[in-house]
Order: sequence, then structure tokens, then C-alpha cells
Amino acid sequence: MPKLNNNNTQGAKRYQNPEVFEQLAIEYAVGSMQGRARKRFEVLMDTHFYLKATVEAYENKFANLVELLPDAKAPDSVWAGIEAHIQESTPQEVKDPWWKANFFKQGFAMAAMALIVTAVMLYNPMSNHNPISYSAMLESDTNGPMAFTKIEKSDMMIKVDIMKDVKIADDMVLTLWCQPKKGGEPMKMGTISKKGKTNIKISEKQWHHMKDIGSLAISVDHKDKTSETSPAGKFILKGQLSSSS
Amino acid sequence: MEDIYAELLQKTAAGDQLAFKELYEKCSPKLMSLCLRLMQTEALAEDVLQEGFIKIWDKADTYTPGKGKAMTWMSTVIRNKGLDKLRSLKTRPVETEVQFEGLEFTSSDLTPDSMEDMSQEMKGLMACLDTLKPSQRECILLSYYYGHTHQELSQKLGKPLGTIKAWIRRGLEDIRPCLN
Repeated sequence: MPKLNNNNTQGAKRYQNPEVFEQLAIEYAVGSMQGRARKRFEVLMDTHFYLKATVEAYENKFANLVELLPDAKAPDSVWAGIEAHIQESTPQEVKDPWWKANFFKQGFAMAAMALIVTAVMLYNPMSNHNPISYSAMLESDTNGPMAFTKIEKSDMMIKVDIMKDVKIADDMVLTLWCQPKKGGEPMKMGTISKKGKTNIKISEKQWHHMKDIGSLAISVDHKDKTSETSPAGKFILKGQLSSSS
Repeated sequence: MEDIYAELLQKTAAGDQLAFKELYEKCSPKLMSLCLRLMQTEALAEDVLQEGFIKIWDKADTYTPGKGKAMTWMSTVIRNKGLDKLRSLKTRPVETEVQFEGLEFTSSDLTPDSMEDMSQEMKGLMACLDTLKPSQRECILLSYYYGHTHQELSQKLGKPLGTIKAWIRRGLEDIRPCLN
């Protein structure tokens, strides 16, 4: 692969050579350019429009390959999440505003409206951030990513997908915990299977509480020694919780 | 051939939610299939498909038919979302119960019916890919569908890293004149 270099003039000139940039563009489009090289090339694309145009042309050609793939139906929860995003991002239509209907003078009504909006913005910290889902990749210190966890508002469910089987003794169980951002006692969410998928239903209250959760963790506990307030055993998997809206 | 999705995508750009739902229903099966191959786990694939379609909704107004077909534009949006996600994970999740591998669906021995359904653009691309050596073709297709790194291809195919890099580089050099 031609070497990427965006630090000096000589390097920049190389990208004006079609032999060099065409090859880089096609490697980017196919996906064989990865990691830091891909990231550096994206920076270059932002400043060199011909690189972007060449990449787009190759991406269009290779994207036809999707035609050959067999169909795979996505679960309904995917569309539910998309729909929730649309509803939240679409401004609600205002019909027949009350301040036009012989209530008060318009000036007073507008001032009152501005006051209400300001108050809501000041006192509602969630006004700019309404997550529709949370996710966390749980990792072990030695084996890397082991489990993927997703929490969606659409079905009020915590879905845990154990990607690598967790080896534990028969008399032990795995327990999922939510750890608050500000510290304090973890919240027990339930027992999960040591392989495959587990779904745990959550309440409205627990969903709202998720905004205060910083990370998820899985502990190994003895079957007969589980506690509601803290794990009896140690945490074997941990991961930061991130939200998407 | 008429681009059946371009009109739906343009209606989506104008905020037509019904058109967007129809677009999702028609296109998501192929795109979910792509996400499953790239991400290798159902949960991550569903995540990428959802985030990708949200981006399509948000950015539909940037699509212009002159740049290509609507489906290829959407595939690129979703595939780049998947590659970004793989990059952010740093370590690729290991394959679990969702086993997607192989390239049998790209076989050049496709039935006459499936050839009939294929777009002119795809037929052209197939013809270009068929000019490559089998090893080059295989590496390029595995990179595209599965997002495999050179290192992963080296392990999967049991070949030295340098050989894999050379196959891909030469394959892409060879296919460029045909594509252009």
C-alpha cells in the first residue's frame, strides 16, 4: 500500500499523483485500508475534495456487491428504535395557539412563553439529551471483550449477549450489576446465563435511573450466597455504559 | 434500469416518514445481511443497522441521484458505520452462534434467474472481478463483506501477511482499469 503521509508538503504533493491517490482511494473503498491509516486518510479527504470524490466513485462501484447477499430480517426492535429517534427529533406541530385566542395581549403571552421555556431549560437537565438506548461492551482483564449489553427504551429490556462462553463452576452464577457514575452501592439487575443471550425486563423507574449509571459489571457469585445490595463474589467483566439518542 | 429506491429516499429527505418506512422495509434485509457479516454478532449488527438508518434519515438530503443509486449510497453509509464501530471496539468480537463466513453467494456459477435480477452495474463489477486471480478476488471480497484486516485474512487463509498484502494491492491495481 502506498504510505500515507499528511505532515509535509512533499507528502501532500504525493496525493496529487493519480497513481497514488487512486490506489489509496480504492483500498479505502474496499475496506482493506484500516486502523490508523484509515483515520489519517479520512482527515486527508476532508481537505482534498478529489480524494473524497474518487473514494465515493469506488464506494459506489463496490456497494453493488450488496445485491448478492441473501436477505436477513432484522428484529422489529430495530425499526422501533429508529422510529423513536424520528419522533423525538421531529418538532411537534402547533395547532391553534392559545395566545391567539383572545386570551391576553400577544406581548404578555410571548413573554410568559419565553419564561416557561427558560425555566424548563434551566431546571430540566435532560432537555437536550433523551437517550433511546444504552450499550456497553463488557471486557475481562485477560480475554478482552466478552459480552455485549444493550438497553432499549423501545422494549424496556436489558439484552446481554455473552460472546465468549464464561467458564464457571456449576454451583456459581453470573449476576449483572449497574454501577452509579457517582459511586455508591451497585444495583443488581439479575442473574444471566453463562453463554448466549439473556433478556432482563426493566421498569420505567429503572430506565430513568440509567442516566446516572456509569458502567455495567458482571460478578460470579455462589448460587446460595447472592445478595441484593452487593456482589458476594468478584467482578469478572466490566464496561462503560454509553447512550445514543 | 430505473432506481426504485431513489424516489423513496428523496421523499425521506423531505420528511416523509411513510416513505422512509417503506424504504426500510425494502432495503433492510440486504443491509442487515451486510451488518451480520461485518459485525459477526446479532446485537452489534442490529446496533449498526439502527444507527445507520438513523443517519440515512438525518442525511437523506445529501443524496443526489447523479452520484449513484440510492441502494449503493445507503450501503456505503451503513458499511462505514460498521467499520467505524469495529474500529471503536479495537478488538473484534469473536464469532459466536452467528456464523457468517464464506463467499458462496458470490459464486460465478449463479443461476440464470439470479443473473436476470442483477443490475447492469453488478454484472459489470462481476465481470471485472472475474478477471482477477481467484486468490486476489477472494481477499478483496472478504475485505468488503467481512471487513477483515490483512492480519485477519492472513490467519483465516493461512498465508503470510506479506502475501495477503500483495494479493490485495495487485488485485486492486489490476481491477482499476476495468472499473474505470
